[in-house]
Amino acid sequence: MAIRVRIPTPLRSLTAGAEEVAIDSATTVGAVIEQLEAKHPGVKDRLLDDKGVRKFINVYLGDEDIRFLEGLESAVKDGDEISIVPAIAGGAR
Amino acid sequence: MAVSAAPFSMARVVVVGVGGLGTPAVRALAHAGVGSLVLVDDDTVDRTNLHRQILFRDADVGRHKLDAAADAVERQAGGVRPTVELVRERLHPGNALRVFAGASVVLECSDNYATKFLAADAARLSEVPIVHGAAIRWVGTALAVGPQGGPCYRCLFEDLPEGAQATCDLAGVVGPVCGIIGALQASFALELLGGGAPFGKLASLDGLHDELRFHTVKPRTSCALCGVRTIVDIDPARYLA
Repeated sequence: MAIRVRIPTPLRSLTAGAEEVAIDSATTVGAVIEQLEAKHPGVKDRLLDDKGVRKFINVYLGDEDIRFLEGLESAVKDGDEISIVPAIAGGAR
Repeated sequence: MAVSAAPFSMARVVVVGVGGLGTPAVRALAHAGVGSLVLVDDDTVDRTNLHRQILFRDADVGRHKLDAAADAVERQAGGVRPTVELVRERLHPGNALRVFAGASVVLECSDNYATKFLAADAARLSEVPIVHGAAIRWVGTALAVGPQGGPCYRCLFEDLPEGAQATCDLAGVVGPVCGIIGALQASFALELLGGGAPFGKLASLDGLHDELRFHTVKPRTSCALCGVRTIVDIDPARYLA
């Protein structure tokens, strides 16, 4: 069983359209993102800056925002699901 | 059984952006018996709007959205029609606090980050609850925030994204996604007006997979708006992307 990462629409251009990416083995959210980057170069830069997770991005481990866990050091295990929730704009025009 | 309109008849609801999200929200609010609607927009109806902006018809193409929306409310609302006030400009740093003054709740249905953050700040400074909405392609989100924040939009998304970002103007949006998110915003607003507190959860719709998820949103102690509260006024420089 792998860790599943749900890819939001704005990032799917970097994952060849994949809506979900399976990461076979990782122990932290940060390691998951590194493996995601290895599979789909460019994703990491969209998620992280030199201070950590970008301000307009939220990374959820299950239902919990990793900022309220251990951030990128939050522990993950097989079967976990990570959701990337970016700010989106649109609706009026 | 219809919910009684009585709790809503004294309500003054401000809708920022009368487009893909705003039109279904306005329709729902008007039918629910909201007493007063303040509609904020500066745009005209384009034919490409019609698939999702459900207050507008072919004959409205080229008209100011607010005129077309007011006519639609008059035409559709049935027995009890809200009073409708039209603010024919975009929400901007110079008018936001004035527009929000006296509001029971604000629905933020705008299409750009600058307006979303401005509305978030103005609502918190005015101590007015706000319901944010956004939709692009097959996804949409909605978040209700209380008059004191905690959590607020800036607890979730700290600041404007840098550089160009996708908007539905450029990336497109699926009509029913707008309808669902706009209706959900109206539902949150009515819940608020009825005394409920649907705070602390981000509704996230994936229309392509028929999934509506709710992510927990917690107050952030370092939040500039409702945590450490370093945002105490509306500084136009803060809303430059």
